[in-house]
Amino acid sequence: MNRLLTVAEMTLRELLRRRGVLLLLLLMPLTFYLIRRDAYLGQSVRSLLLGVGWAVSTAALFATTAARELEPRLRLAGYRPHHLYLGRMLGLWTVGLVISVPFFLLPLVDGAELRYAGLAAAMLCSVGVAAPFGMLIGALLPRELEGTLLLLTVVTVQMLIDPAGSGAKLTPFWSSREIATWAVDHTDEGYLSRGALHGLAVTTLLVLGVAAVASVRLRRRRHLRHLPVG
Amino acid sequence: MNADDWLRTFTAELHQRRVAADAARHVVAEAATHLREGGGDPWVVFGPPHQYAAAIVESIGTAPGPRPGPVRLHARGITKRYGRRTVLSDATLTVRAGQIAAVVGANGCGKSTFLRICAGLVSPDAGEVTISGRLGYCPQSGGTADFLLADEHFVLVGAGQGVARGPARRAGRAAARQLGWEAGGDMLARHLSGGTRQKLNLTMSTLSNPDVLLLDEPYQGFDQGTYVNFWDQLARLRDAGKAIVVVTHLLNQLDRVDTVLDLTPTPQSGWLAPGVQGGHP
Amino acid sequence: MDSDRRGQWLRGVLDICVLALLRERESYGYQLAQALDAAGVGPIQGGTLYPVLLRLQRTGLVTAQWREGTAGPARKYYRLTDDGREALRQGGSAWLAFVAPVSDVVTKGVAG
Repeated sequence: MNRLLTVAEMTLRELLRRRGVLLLLLLMPLTFYLIRRDAYLGQSVRSLLLGVGWAVSTAALFATTAARELEPRLRLAGYRPHHLYLGRMLGLWTVGLVISVPFFLLPLVDGAELRYAGLAAAMLCSVGVAAPFGMLIGALLPRELEGTLLLLTVVTVQMLIDPAGSGAKLTPFWSSREIATWAVDHTDEGYLSRGALHGLAVTTLLVLGVAAVASVRLRRRRHLRHLPVG
Repeated sequence: MNADDWLRTFTAELHQRRVAADAARHVVAEAATHLREGGGDPWVVFGPPHQYAAAIVESIGTAPGPRPGPVRLHARGITKRYGRRTVLSDATLTVRAGQIAAVVGANGCGKSTFLRICAGLVSPDAGEVTISGRLGYCPQSGGTADFLLADEHFVLVGAGQGVARGPARRAGRAAARQLGWEAGGDMLARHLSGGTRQKLNLTMSTLSNPDVLLLDEPYQGFDQGTYVNFWDQLARLRDAGKAIVVVTHLLNQLDRVDTVLDLTPTPQSGWLAPGVQGGHP
Repeated sequence: MDSDRRGQWLRGVLDICVLALLRERESYGYQLAQALDAAGVGPIQGGTLYPVLLRLQRTGLVTAQWREGTAGPARKYYRLTDDGREALRQGGSAWLAFVAPVSDVVTKGVAG
């Protein structure tokens, strides 16, 4: 447990010190929100959620790429793979929740008539999905640039795709969009439960994906035999 | 280089040559007394530190090296191909507790790959490695976190072994001091100079108290004084019973190691049979 | 060239000189160097002297002991042993037996 928390803590410290990146990441949801502000509130809130998802997954991507060389040696220093990826995820989720707070308050201050519980749930989904999503991309792609471009593509697709279409459910952030519809347009409860289920399922799948990649990458290799010191 | 530096270097040289610690202390004290009484430039009075150390060794001999301990690392028949290119072919290395092995060879001959295979970070196409005890690995670069302080690195590594924060920090700083570096500052790793970051890198790998230590040219960027400290530190670790493998391209350091593995490919046979030759008895 | 040659001669006889000086009284490195210089043998650097002292100590011809001097720092005092006295007697005689004919030959050469 201590190992897990130490990794989480160090992830947190690292991210909070990347002030420039953090600021730019926060700017994105804000501009998303403000651009759509005049037209239609629903669109504005959805963009905001997508922006939060983008910010957190990018942070996760950066954190994962930065730790690429460090993790093998931490593994040798006594960490198990799950300490490393769960600890990092825990740190990222914490950062995600912290940066969500101002964006949760933004529509509130703006005087929007929303189901705020819905907004909170949607934000949770965004953050929940984004951290393992960014980590998975960071683990699979060799460099930050490729990862960032892929994230950008996903976010754009997410923004442009027809949410009612069957393909939309395959996009990672569909859950928060669905719940946002419930929150903004006061639609029936089906939106909420569908969204929540989707969010939970996607988060679980992504966490399992991250776990699988980390376990393979940090596995004990077959050619190496460890004997205790006798 | 003033007298103190000279004496420090001389001490390190004696240590590396395995002069018994007691005898070395007397010799250094006597030289210091002489310099204090007579003054003069130690380079004139005693000559270059390594030369004087060699003369001392000739006069009094070296301590009987610690009996070669049990085998700590045994790499056998390591072969690695990247596509069509064979990087390593049947490389073999045995290192015992209390020994330093140098892995040498031209650039691109697979020194780092060999080390990564020994560390279990890369799988070979053939061959196996047996490690007894805990393993420490110091990569050539990049093994540090840019946005963390040195202390936080120590805490992170320490936590892997269940070491509490305070002791981990103290152990880290003490290990850093062996390399002539005061690590307690509030500077992020990314702001450290290249050489200092390598000291952090190296310190991290010794911190988990490994039985087998794999070092991939960690002294790059070290200045001269630190460089001496590095080999001094290696000798200390060796004498403490560690098995050490160090990748190096500096052939002038080979008299300080016990075993040499040359990975340079030779044209006629394809590869030089990994020449394992004893240095010290 | 000259100092080179002197160094070579000295290498063969420095241990005997040191033993001879220690016959009078125990002494330490720096003092021995000064005594040799004062006697006209020339300046002996520490890098030459101490290896000789260490070798004499190792072979048991001298013993050594760290002691505080009356003034100044602790010094390593060397003292002749019985074996050392014997080695001095033999080595010294051998040196004299060697140097006397050499002197004769050289003297004739220089005079002629």
